[in-house]
Order: sequence, then structure tokens, then C-alpha cells
Amino acid sequence: MIEERSNPQGHTRQPTVALFVTCLADLFRPSVAFASIKLLERAGCSVIVPTQQTCCGQPAYNSGDYEATTPLAKQVIAMLEPADYVVVPSGSCAGMICHHYPRLLEGEWQQRARDLATRTYELTTFLADIAPLPRSKVKTAALPPVTYHDSCAGLRELDIREQPRRLLREVCGIEVNEMQQTDVCCGFGGTFCAKMPEISAKMASDKVHNAVATGARILTGGDLGCLLNLAGRARRLGETIEVRHVAELLSGDLAVPAIGEGN
Amino acid sequence: MTKSARSRIFAKIRHSSRGATAATIREELDSFGKAPAADLPTPDTATAFLANVLKNQGTVDCAANRTDAVRAVGQYLYQHYRTHRLVAGNDSRLAAMPWRDAGVLPRFGTAEGNEPAALSYARLGVAETGAVVTFTGKANPAANNLLAEHHIVLVNCEDLVGDMEEAWLRIRHEVDRDGRPRGINFIAGPSSTADIEGQLVYGAHGPRGWHVILLGYMPASALEDARALAAG
Amino acid sequence: MEMHSQAFLENAREALGDPEKTRRRGLLAAFTPMVRNAAMESFGKFEPLRQHLRRVRQHTLDNLDHYLDRFEQEALSNGNHVHFAMDGEEMNRIVLEICQRHSARRIAKGKSMVTEETGLSRHLQGAGLNVTETDLGEYIIQQAGEPPSHIVGPALHKSAAEVRDLFLARHDLGERELEETSQLVQEARGVLRQRFLEADVGIIGANALVAENGYSMLVTNEGNGDLCANLPPVLIVCTTLERILPRAEDATAMMRLLVRSATGQPHTCYTSFYSGPRREQDTDGPIETHFVLLDDKRTDILASDYREMLQCIRCGACLNHCPIYAAAGGHAYGAVYMGPMGSVLTPLLTSLEESHLLPNACTSCGRCAEVCPSGIPLPDLLRDLRQAEQAAKLSPPRWRTGLKLHAWLARHPRLYHGLTALGIPLLHRLGRRRGSFSKLPLAGGWTSQRDFPAPQRKTFMQAYAGVLKAEKKRRRHD
Repeated sequence: MIEERSNPQGHTRQPTVALFVTCLADLFRPSVAFASIKLLERAGCSVIVPTQQTCCGQPAYNSGDYEATTPLAKQVIAMLEPADYVVVPSGSCAGMICHHYPRLLEGEWQQRARDLATRTYELTTFLADIAPLPRSKVKTAALPPVTYHDSCAGLRELDIREQPRRLLREVCGIEVNEMQQTDVCCGFGGTFCAKMPEISAKMASDKVHNAVATGARILTGGDLGCLLNLAGRARRLGETIEVRHVAELLSGDLAVPAIGEGN
Repeated sequence: MTKSARSRIFAKIRHSSRGATAATIREELDSFGKAPAADLPTPDTATAFLANVLKNQGTVDCAANRTDAVRAVGQYLYQHYRTHRLVAGNDSRLAAMPWRDAGVLPRFGTAEGNEPAALSYARLGVAETGAVVTFTGKANPAANNLLAEHHIVLVNCEDLVGDMEEAWLRIRHEVDRDGRPRGINFIAGPSSTADIEGQLVYGAHGPRGWHVILLGYMPASALEDARALAAG
Repeated sequence: MEMHSQAFLENAREALGDPEKTRRRGLLAAFTPMVRNAAMESFGKFEPLRQHLRRVRQHTLDNLDHYLDRFEQEALSNGNHVHFAMDGEEMNRIVLEICQRHSARRIAKGKSMVTEETGLSRHLQGAGLNVTETDLGEYIIQQAGEPPSHIVGPALHKSAAEVRDLFLARHDLGERELEETSQLVQEARGVLRQRFLEADVGIIGANALVAENGYSMLVTNEGNGDLCANLPPVLIVCTTLERILPRAEDATAMMRLLVRSATGQPHTCYTSFYSGPRREQDTDGPIETHFVLLDDKRTDILASDYREMLQCIRCGACLNHCPIYAAAGGHAYGAVYMGPMGSVLTPLLTSLEESHLLPNACTSCGRCAEVCPSGIPLPDLLRDLRQAEQAAKLSPPRWRTGLKLHAWLARHPRLYHGLTALGIPLLHRLGRRRGSFSKLPLAGGWTSQRDFPAPQRKTFMQAYAGVLKAEKKRRRHD
């Protein structure tokens, strides 16, 4: 549960949450970031969006370019540290900050990375465990059945499994139709999907087929990387299942076309 | 040539070694304590052992005394082969069994290529794994464990231990007394393979049947309870 | 069939081109984790035992000189010959010399990944010896002339029908029925039984070497390794240095995780410890026994940042849980070891030049590390290897420069936001009607297999700046 903080004058105040938008939401899906802000404010947080933010450095890091990642990681840490909390609408970017920055950095910077890691959360975890999202007062229109794709980094680095499902149930009143092999990777893997496209496509096809087999109309998840991959593959396969980020569902923001859908 | 490989390997390892004394090394190793073992399906060791033998696709029988034991051997043989042919190692305990009571007289020696059944007297039974333990030697040539179509094993109730760590305590005790055997065999099931399409088939190279007869005093319901545990 | 690691992508493409085999790989990839998970769940102590074993193995590697010395002394006093080999060639030579000294013609061989690594069977056969692989899976692929596709189930890529055709072609046994898997096993049993009985030398591997008493541990379900170890007059145990464990208890504690991880069984049918040649009063067993202890880069790995890889116990769980292994199949790796553990080991055992693609065959999904009974951080080691690839300039220059440029740009927010504010709206306009692109310049890797979702109107940063401005204005009006 969130604690109200005392400012230097001794007044309690709303906790400030810095939203780390992630580069994919910034570039491809601003609606995810706007939905995140809406949800955090509904949960009683004062949201700031540091305007200097770009990318957490995963592309270079996962390709093994630690040298290029290090200064970027330091820059992200310095930018986010002042906030009480950092919230990220992505398991893999949150995992990057929480697990990989401390692994990458040394000395004082490692300390700072560890400190930041203790205050950094993936969006659904934050809304489920830290600043509980109240039930929406506005009755959201009944959603069609959804299925949830567990992103690997979120699942295994941050233990995100129940949180989004709980929120979907409690906030939107919908149950998740579970697909087969939810814990298997969708084949995105950052640059992997472009380096080894055929293998990646096979993995994405399996995931899409498993999602479609649940009878769900919407495939949702917490990581845009996976969702862009799955939406792209679903379209290529001619599957009509909609792909949307969980933040959009939770905020009831379904007016925008689903990922990869035309206007 | 190999001598130089030896010294090169040792030189390289020493380079990455901590260079601790034997006493320090021993102390650190001891500080790790005992490894977690699998829990027994039931507190009674005999029942747990029988249940695990059954789970290993073995068949089981119980005998209160040696007469019952030879009778159980005879029954198993007759059931599978309508024969009383049997090979057993030169084990003084087996030699002293009242074979005439069961109409079975084992050939004492080493199993040949196509033996219907072989009999061993196990040193130990391990409840944790449902395994029997034999030492190679005159009393139980290794071929007897491996070459027959069916392997029948007698185990004394008082030779049952809970887990593998207890098994090693007992084995160490015997080794200290009699020296190191060439081979120590933990056998936990008929020979099996899943190498073709992952399908489990028994009788890969060794016995296709594995029959364990537990000998001695045990709870009256041991066999029945074991069957229930193995089925559930 | 010779495959190379450099051709991983082509090999994988070819494997995916066979729908029936791809389907069967998918079934195995669903089935094997299920049985492993069920076994671990009923065991209930995976994590504490994994931690315990990690400590023991770490301790063993930290003091490997002590334990190796102890093992050698004990093995010698048990009556063995102990040989050391720096590389595979030396191991092969030592084994051949032993066979030749005994004028051996027929060799019965148990399953051993180390001898796969050194190509021992090929070497012995090249010298005119008749080598029979006796593990059923190994026997099948030996008959087919193929390498293993999996470190535990080497022939799992073959269907029963293929095995039947193979046996009909290779066994001169006249007309017979081989429809059932059990009939295939029965036939192999008959053929191989004779080979065991005739063999002059048995060769096996070891799952562990016990330092305190000089025994080697061998685990099998078939019992073939035990037949190799007990029937022929000469036994040669071929293994590597890092198999050493301090005590017998450590070897059997490791078994608790090894077998559950490998096949989902609580333990194997045969867990055997062998100390040396037959004793004076023994009536069977080999008359002469040898240990050949291979280094083959283990001492280099010990001194490197990849030391944790020496904790690998070859259970194959990481293969079974790797979706890339499932998609590409074991042969695609073109290496003795495949899947996540293989993608770490192959560059370390061969060279990064010939195998640098393998560490890229990973999405960092982390499933392998989660189930690894040795707790090896495989995705981290694979990423570190990609760093080595990067440093050695082995990755495609286009990728290297592109990623460096991206990271540099990301450090210059104004430029980054400025450029993306130009590009994204353009991309949006081009793709808004359909919502995605089926082709896009510079994104061929992506669009070859999937559509590229078009971005929403603007970048978030652009849109958010607008929101902030409007808010400021509103406040001024209020």
C-alpha cells in the first residue's frame, strides 16, 4: 500500500510517480501512455512525465553492446531518481531497470541502480499491489472475452502473473480465458525477431493460434514489443483477433483502433 | 604425452584455485549440511518402500519368513514361466534358504545370455527411491542384475533405509568392514527406454520384469497401503 | 549429414519446412516441460536443493585441484589406470591405444556426450574397430548416420515409422512385424545383446566422479551402460574434469534434480557406481579399467567469466523448455550440444567465429534459467557471448552500427524527439488506412514474416507537449 510522503515542510503530499513511457509506446502507441497516466491518477498518484526520456537501452544491451548501454542507463537513472516511484507500462523495460541496470553498472552507479530498482514497478503490479486502482465509478461497457499474454521478462524477472488478471477482473469485471502454454515466449525478443524471422514467426504463430483457440476476441498483455509482434503476425495470418495493451483495457479506452488495425 | 597433459591440467586448475587447506575445504563442505531429500509417501518405511517400488513399475510381495520367501519366488517363477529355472549368485544367505519347500533349486553362479530369471539378495532397500542396492561380487555377479528376463530381489525389512544419505551411511559401514566393492548398483525398476517417440517400453536391454520380495516383520496392512499409495 | 553452426538460420528454415517433424517437435516441447513440472511439484524442494547443489558444485570448482588430486589417488588405489587428455584428439588416441594393446575388435559403447564431443566412435572406426552404440537412441542415429538432436533423447526427431524402415534396412532378419514400438525395442534388444556379449572393450561416460572414493557414477534407464561396464574384459570411462563431486552423497543428491529435470522420473532405473577392475574373489567384471579425464577447454572456462557453465549436469531441461530449440530442432545448431546450454558451450568449446550465431538464438525469455537444476543464468551468459561477438566485430556491421546509433541518439533526447516527431507522423499517414504495412524499407527482417503495425498519429512526446501547452493556457485563462 502506498504511503503518503512528508515533504521537507512536514506536509503530507501525494506520492509522485514518474512515468517511464517506453520508446515503443512513445513511437507506436501513445494511447498506452495516456491510459497509464489516467490509471495512475485514478489511483491517487501525482504523475510526472520526464520529458528527457527516450529508451531504456534494451536494444543495445540485449545485442551485447554494454559499452553503448552504460551511459544511457546512467542517464535514465539520473532522470528518474527524484521521483518517489517509477512506473513503466512494460515488464521488459521495468525488468531492464530493476535487474539489468544493477548487473550492468558498477560502484556508486550500481548502488543508485539498486536504489531505483526498489522504487520501480511495472504498471499492473503497481496498480494491483502498491497504489490500488479503485473500481471505476463509470460503468464500462461489457468487454468481449479476452486472453492474456504473459510477457517473459514480466513473468520471470518481476513475477507478474496474477496482477493484470486481478485488475481485469476487479476493474473491468472480466475473466481472462487462459490460453495453452501461457508461459512460452511469443518470439519477439527485441532484435531477435528481425535477426531470426522464421523462428520468431513460428513462435508468434503458435501464440496467435493458442490465443484464438480460447475464443477470446481480444489478446492483451503488458508489453508493446510482444503485442506489436503478435498483432503483426496475426494480421499476416489473417486472424481477426484484436491486440491491445492492458492499460487501454483497464482505462476503458477502446475508441482507438487496436494495434495494427486501420482507421 | 599424458603425463604432460596431467601437469598442464593441474597447473591451469591451480591457477584458478583458492589454494585452501584440506581442513578448510572439509569444513566448508560440512557447513552446507544435508541435501533436501524427497519426502516419503507415508511415515512407515516398509510401506513407503513398497509403494515406491510399485511406482517404479516393479511388482512386490511380502514374506514373513524364509519359507514364505522361497514360496513367493516359486510362485512368481511359475506365474511367468511355468518353470522353476533360476540363477542366483553364490550368496550364503541364498544358499541357506529352504528351497526344497518351494520346489525351486537355483543354479548358483553367473547369469548367461538368455536366462529366464535371476535372483539377488539386496544389501539395502531405499524407501525414498524404491531402489534395491546390490554390490557386485561372487554373491551377486552384475550379470545377474542385467541379463535375465526377470529379476527377483529379496530385501530384509531391517535393511530398509529412508533416504539416499542413510543408504550411504550403511554402505560406508559395510565398505569399511569388507573393502570397496567393484560396483554398487541402485536398481529401481525394470530396464526401460523412451528413445522412440518418447514412448515408454520395458525390457530395453535388461530385465523386463522386476519383482521385489520384502522379507521380515512389517505392518500387516503394508502391502495393501502401498498399493493404495502407488495407485493414488 | 553434416551441419554447421554458421548455417543455423538455413538449417532452422529447412527444419521448419517439414510440417510433420515440426508438429512432432511441438508436441515434445509441450510434453517434456509438463512431466518435468509435475515431477518437481511432487518433489516440492526444487529451490532449496538447487541452492544446496550450487553451493556444493561451486565449492568443488573453487577447489578443483584438491578434488581432482583426491579422485586420481583414490582411482589409482582402486586399481584403475588414470589418463589425462588436453583435447579430444588426445583422448581418442589414448582410447585407441588401449583398444589396440588388447587387440580389441569389437567395442560396446554407452551413451556419452563427451565422446560425441571428441568424435571417438568415428576415430575408432577409422582405425578399423567395430563400435556399437548401445543406448537405443544412440544406436538408431548411428544406424542412420546422423548426429544426436538432443543430449538426452538423441533420436527423438525420428518417428517410429522411420526407425522401422531403418531396422528393416539394417538388420538382416527376414520378414517380421515391426508395427509396434515395443517390437522395435525388442528387435534392438536382440541385436544389441549379442554385441554386449561379444565386446572386447566397453566404453562408458560418467555422470559424476566421486573424489572421496574414486568411484564413477553412471545413470541409465536401459541398463546398457551397466552391460558395457560389466561384461567386456576391458572398461574405459571417458569423462571430463568438471564431473567431480566431493562425496557419494553429493552425486545422489544431484540425481534428485538431474532425473526429474531430464525425464520427469524421480530417479533412473539404474544408478551405478563403479570403482575399478574385478577384485580377487569376484567372478565377473572387467579385468582392466581406465579413466580418461578430458580437459577440452574446461580449465579455460574455469578461469573465465563463464565458469558457471561448468555446473551444467546435461539434463536437457533447457532444451526441452526452449521455444527456439523446439522451432529449429537440435540438428540446426550444427553442434554436439544444442539449445541454450549448447549455445553457451559451443562457442566456448569451438570458437566464436564459427558459432557466434548460436548465442543470438535466444529471446532472453528466461525459461531455461528458471528450470535449470544448476541455476545457471543461461540468458545472461548468452548475452555476454553476444557482447564478445560484438567486441570481436562478428555481428553484421549494419546491426552493430544501427544499434550504436540508436543508443547514441537515445542519449540525446532533443535530437531523438525531433527526429521521431518527423518520422512517426509520416509513417502514420502512410499506414493509417490499413493500420499496418506488409512491406517496409529497412524492416525486411520484420515484414518478411509479419505486418508492421502503423504508429498512432504522433509520438507520445509530441502529443503530451500539446496537452501540457493546452493545460498551461487553460490555467492562464482561469
